[in-house]
Amino acid sequence: MRHRNATAYRFLTPYLLIFAIFWVWPIISSFLISFQATRTVPWRFAPTFNWGRLIGDPAFFNALKNTLLILVIQVPVMISLAIVMAVLLNSPLLKARGLYRFAFFAPVVVGEVAYSAVFRLMFSLDFGIINKLLNGVGLPKVDWFSNVTPAMALIMIAVTWRWAGYNAIIILAGLQSIPEDVYEAATLDRVSKVKQFFHITLPLLKPVIVFCAVLSIIGTMQLFTEPFLITERGGPGGGTETLGLLLYRQGFRSLNFGYASAVAYTMAGLAIAITLVQLWLTRDPK
Amino acid sequence: MAAVTLTNVVKRFGLFEVVHGANIDIADGEFVVFVGPSGCGKSTLLRMVAGLEDISGGKIAIGGKVVNDVEPADRGIAMVFQSYALYPHMTVEQNLSFGLRMNGNPKADTERRVKRAAEILRIDELMQRRPKQLSGGQRQRVAIGRAIVREPQVFLFDEPLSNLDAELRVQMRVEIARLHKELGVTMIYVTHDQTEAMTLADRIVVLKAGNVEQIGAPLDLYDDPANRFVAGFIGSPKMNFLKANVVEAGNGSVTVELVNHAGARLRKPLCGALPAVGAEVVLGVRPEHFFEAGEGECDIPVKADVAEHLGSVSYVYADAGSEELIIEREAARQRASSEHFTVSIKAERSLLFDKTGARIR
Repeated sequence: MRHRNATAYRFLTPYLLIFAIFWVWPIISSFLISFQATRTVPWRFAPTFNWGRLIGDPAFFNALKNTLLILVIQVPVMISLAIVMAVLLNSPLLKARGLYRFAFFAPVVVGEVAYSAVFRLMFSLDFGIINKLLNGVGLPKVDWFSNVTPAMALIMIAVTWRWAGYNAIIILAGLQSIPEDVYEAATLDRVSKVKQFFHITLPLLKPVIVFCAVLSIIGTMQLFTEPFLITERGGPGGGTETLGLLLYRQGFRSLNFGYASAVAYTMAGLAIAITLVQLWLTRDPK
Repeated sequence: MAAVTLTNVVKRFGLFEVVHGANIDIADGEFVVFVGPSGCGKSTLLRMVAGLEDISGGKIAIGGKVVNDVEPADRGIAMVFQSYALYPHMTVEQNLSFGLRMNGNPKADTERRVKRAAEILRIDELMQRRPKQLSGGQRQRVAIGRAIVREPQVFLFDEPLSNLDAELRVQMRVEIARLHKELGVTMIYVTHDQTEAMTLADRIVVLKAGNVEQIGAPLDLYDDPANRFVAGFIGSPKMNFLKANVVEAGNGSVTVELVNHAGARLRKPLCGALPAVGAEVVLGVRPEHFFEAGEGECDIPVKADVAEHLGSVSYVYADAGSEELIIEREAARQRASSEHFTVSIKAERSLLFDKTGARIR
């Protein structure tokens, strides 16, 4: 048995080496770097330098506030929308179901730069279709890129557009695993469709919804593309800067790797903490 | 309690007709079993009674009221599903009370009904457990309990014991029979297992390919089947069918020659129209209706192939010409396999069918 294990590990060695060099070591290394002052040459060990700065840095708290705001508003809205989309996709009344499934999933496979460019055009102040539509129904134009609230809304709309369909497909798989006869039993029990949804469908979908929520929380904590490409590097004036963008700015523009590592570990820690709280809140009663 | 009447009930899925005009009268308090092979339309028929499938033609009446367009919940029925259909996220108690709670039934009445169902099914100890913490038999009890709390006029069972092991199936069969006796309500039960049908039913409805083949009391179907299908389906092991030709017909009887048994002949008195001489017929003999050589009117030699010893009785699978026969033998435990012996058929314990499978009486 020991010999067989040794053979197995020999086969695994190439992968384990790559995993150790490109995954394990960077994780350990960045943690160690977060305790070093990296704007001096050579770098020196200063355990409180980056972490101390983090606690008093208004830019960090601005990015944290923006990230949490997006998390608190966008994730529930997107998951709710994904549930509605999944229920519609699952309806026997829907024709051309495959086409809709593809259409809902398509945003995920669209290139990030392309979709960001299209969003910028659509929400442009003077030429965008969104403002034209708003005008068309008698509403004033919105300057999506110059004001913080519309810019944040734009980020949330964009992220929701991109990921709602993806989550809907996952939830659809969950919906299709609920046996039909459970609903038939409820129908015989004179339980209305609405009550069936809230008392049967939603509780039975809970594990899938929690899974989607955890994925979305992790994704939102790392949010980078949309504020970088759509609202031009977290604009206006840092109004849409997220933790991911702050990390990028500190690490790859200011080359302050120590502080960027501290931000990265804060992001990971927050994602784990929020996920654990959510798992605890949605745990099954004993 | 209520009678159930099906009149010319037809079911089509698109252009495909799966139930072809079923006519069935079920009396108040009767236990009727729909039995037939897979795909014969028995579950579809039950689901139409429940209102879970639309009726393409004909009428279904429950308690004298036509329910074709009545919602399932308003038909006064309760259904027990093959897969139990319990709500997995609810406790047993919540499963039992869910329908009543959702409809605003007074709390005291809901508690009374749940308690009564739990007592009847002896599941009081399980009330706080969830379905995944229950065994198959316990789940089935809860599913039946959920039907009981509705206090329906008619219970519908859709192959409720199919997912249980053999021992539990026998136990639950007894429970369901006890329940019927205790509640005295009309019950319609679907199964493909003829043993369940024989042991539970007041009357059995035998279905084949969407047609009602015969309706009758279990022993009536066993002793006096209307056709070859019913004769073969009811009874375990199934009836033996021996190919024969009519060689003489007259004076209220026919003489048939068994094609695969070296000209063995049997004279059988009939009370109806006689088949013509030369007609191809089939002689049906149940495994327990083979007698010792010389005891009947027609002896046929057979060679034992395999014997199944069930203790009280043995079944010998025997080669006889090009036909395989199943023969019940009390003494078979002493017989070695590959043994040659002779069995005898009595005219009065055999049935005759024509080429189409219809009974010749």
